[in-house]
Amino acid sequence: MICTREARSMASRPLYLFGMILAPLFTTLFFLTLMGEGLPKDLPIAVVDNDNSQVSRRVVRQLDAFKQTEVLMHSANFSEARRAMQEGKVYAIFYIPENLEKDVLASRQPKISFYLNNSYLIAGSLLYRDLRTISVLGSAAVAKEFRTARGQTEEQAMIELQPVAVDTHLLGNPLSNYAVYLCNLIIPGVYNILIMLLTIYALGMELKQNTAHVLLRLSKNNMFVGLFAKMLPHTLVYFAVITLIDVILYEYMQFPCNSGLVPMLADSYMLVLASQAMSIFLFGLLPIMRLSLSAASLISVVSLSISGFSFPVSEMHYVLQCWSNVFPLRHFFLLYVDQALNGLGFAYTWHNYLALSLFLFLPFFVIRRLKDVYLNFKYVP
Amino acid sequence: MSRKSFKKIVKEGVCDTFIVWKDEFRKVIRDAGVVIFFIVAPLGYPLLYCFIYDNEVAKEAPMVVVDNSGTVRSREFIRLCDATRDIRIVGRTANMEEAKRMLHEKKAFGVMMIPSDFSKKIVRDEKSYVILYSDMSSLLYYKAFLTTLTDVSLEMGEDIQVKRMVGSTEREQKVASTPIEYKNVTYFNPQNGFASFLIPAVLILIIQQTMLMGIALLNGSARDNNTFRDLLPMQRHYRGTFRIVFGKSLCYLMVYSVVSVYLLWCVPMIFSLPQMGDGYSILAFILPFLLSCVFFSLTIVGFVRDRESSFVLFIFMSLILLFASGVSWPAAAVPWYWKSFSYLFPSTFGIQGFIKMNTMGATLNEVRLEYVALWIQTFLYFVGACLVCRWQIIRSDRKYREMNR
Repeated sequence: MICTREARSMASRPLYLFGMILAPLFTTLFFLTLMGEGLPKDLPIAVVDNDNSQVSRRVVRQLDAFKQTEVLMHSANFSEARRAMQEGKVYAIFYIPENLEKDVLASRQPKISFYLNNSYLIAGSLLYRDLRTISVLGSAAVAKEFRTARGQTEEQAMIELQPVAVDTHLLGNPLSNYAVYLCNLIIPGVYNILIMLLTIYALGMELKQNTAHVLLRLSKNNMFVGLFAKMLPHTLVYFAVITLIDVILYEYMQFPCNSGLVPMLADSYMLVLASQAMSIFLFGLLPIMRLSLSAASLISVVSLSISGFSFPVSEMHYVLQCWSNVFPLRHFFLLYVDQALNGLGFAYTWHNYLALSLFLFLPFFVIRRLKDVYLNFKYVP
Repeated sequence: MSRKSFKKIVKEGVCDTFIVWKDEFRKVIRDAGVVIFFIVAPLGYPLLYCFIYDNEVAKEAPMVVVDNSGTVRSREFIRLCDATRDIRIVGRTANMEEAKRMLHEKKAFGVMMIPSDFSKKIVRDEKSYVILYSDMSSLLYYKAFLTTLTDVSLEMGEDIQVKRMVGSTEREQKVASTPIEYKNVTYFNPQNGFASFLIPAVLILIIQQTMLMGIALLNGSARDNNTFRDLLPMQRHYRGTFRIVFGKSLCYLMVYSVVSVYLLWCVPMIFSLPQMGDGYSILAFILPFLLSCVFFSLTIVGFVRDRESSFVLFIFMSLILLFASGVSWPAAAVPWYWKSFSYLFPSTFGIQGFIKMNTMGATLNEVRLEYVALWIQTFLYFVGACLVCRWQIIRSDRKYREMNR
């Protein structure tokens, strides 16, 4: 009875269609197309080549050939390049001094410099890698010529130049792909925002439209049954949409998922339930819809930052480390790392599932108050 | 109805504008929801974000070592890593399995494995490897491991090369190992700080989003309180498009000029974030940004039916706008269709311009593109706001006449 009533009201309001289905799918589309291949390509840089010799031109050519670097402008002087950087046209400047070739031949150890704009952190750190590599390699190429001139073989020379190397293995995300890294958390995070707001909206509309007593009558004055039945159609839609999102992420996009799809679905479902429970709790505490909606929006937006996917929680202040535990998204994130990236089993992840299920008990604290509100509260605009 | 003189119309118009302004301000301070978005959120949010990102960088990332070589060289390598700012060696284990277990228990986020033939290969003039396994749960940790290990290996490599070259002078050895030196200078955010990079963008976004929400709430309340569920009260003073739009905008502009000074000047100062720009230039830049935000909000809220839907419609867009603005994801890598989409929102130009001025010390001349774009937006959304307002007047007029028929 209540379920069909709720389903009918969901169907009659376009807002539900928007928030439950269109907005999350739009978000998914946005982030997947934005990040495309996972790493930004062809980031523009400026080159100031004061030497303009064979050696310097070769270095610049090699630099341009890197996938993430594109030499956008060759500027005649440094101040022009610097202005381009301030205008945001280029993210870095590669500076080659005069007499580079001559100084190399004369063993005077000339110095090339690169200037990075780190107010764009991702662009800055990606370019750092390329620019440093080219600086070391450029040097190495010259050194190689030195050594082959002395009668060493090329292979010998290469080994001598870099006797110790680092061999990197990335556990779980072998491509160090930003799309994998960001999409898997941001998309559920945005859905988390929408779920919290829509749940409170649904509860509040009963008061605003003065239909709360109908809900209680239908549930024979049992608030728990009423609440459960009211939320059930919502939950089913959320489950369907988040299943679709997970299938898109892990099956269609083939993002790493070492645990298989099922544990990730379990994780997502738990996130949906925990967010709903938390919203009911919030509404019970603050039964004035606009206030609880404001609170929910502030909390759900912060939860994206405090879940620790951009900046590790272990580097935050101790108080925040403790607080991060009261956000469902934080546990969702930890489960995602352990399951999808590290492929760990339930033995390592049970405590996060436990934490998420604890959120489900939150509504019980406010259920009596909620009933009271539904019986006696008069909506004041 | 007698024709009024032009002078009288202007006088009345100015008076009405001020009355609308006063009315609107009264509504702002009386509505708890609006106060939350206009005052509390802009005050509290930046503090919270700065607190979250307070440490700026991931220092001393925990790492566990499996030293299969156990020689002087390998111990030296570990010692050099431990001595850096970015890495802390939290443990040594006998084999990879134990190290992995420490990763899974979150006691460490990376494993450095030194193979048993590490020193042997160096002595034999072969290439020797250090193997890094990194947990990918945090990109900042991964970056710390990779850069530190690479730095240490290059440093050690140079040392080894120099020692190998017998029979040449020190200077000769140095030149032979690095014929070209290089220098790396980081502009504007020298410590690679996370807060210095993200917070300026978030501050601008806070202005736009809280203003939009606040105005949406105000309009929603006006509609809820109105007999005809319309946006405008049936009053003598609300009889002219420009009076209403100007009156309301003045009120919002007044509140937000104070809020902006706090957000864009006090917050960076309190948390010692980069602040290179000239205050007056930034002020000159922020004016069109605030204006375009006001008119943008007034235009958009004309399409929102009830107060509560605005939460669902606008809040989730914050993240999308942040990424579309080209800060976290470099603008050069944003596809053209999302770029054009982002040009619809004042925040895109606001964020770009503010970062360039505040963080990178640009003057108005360097941000002329954003500056002009914001004025164009101001104009377009002003027209939009007037159209929305005009439409509301016509609608409520019609209803009023129907009532009195």
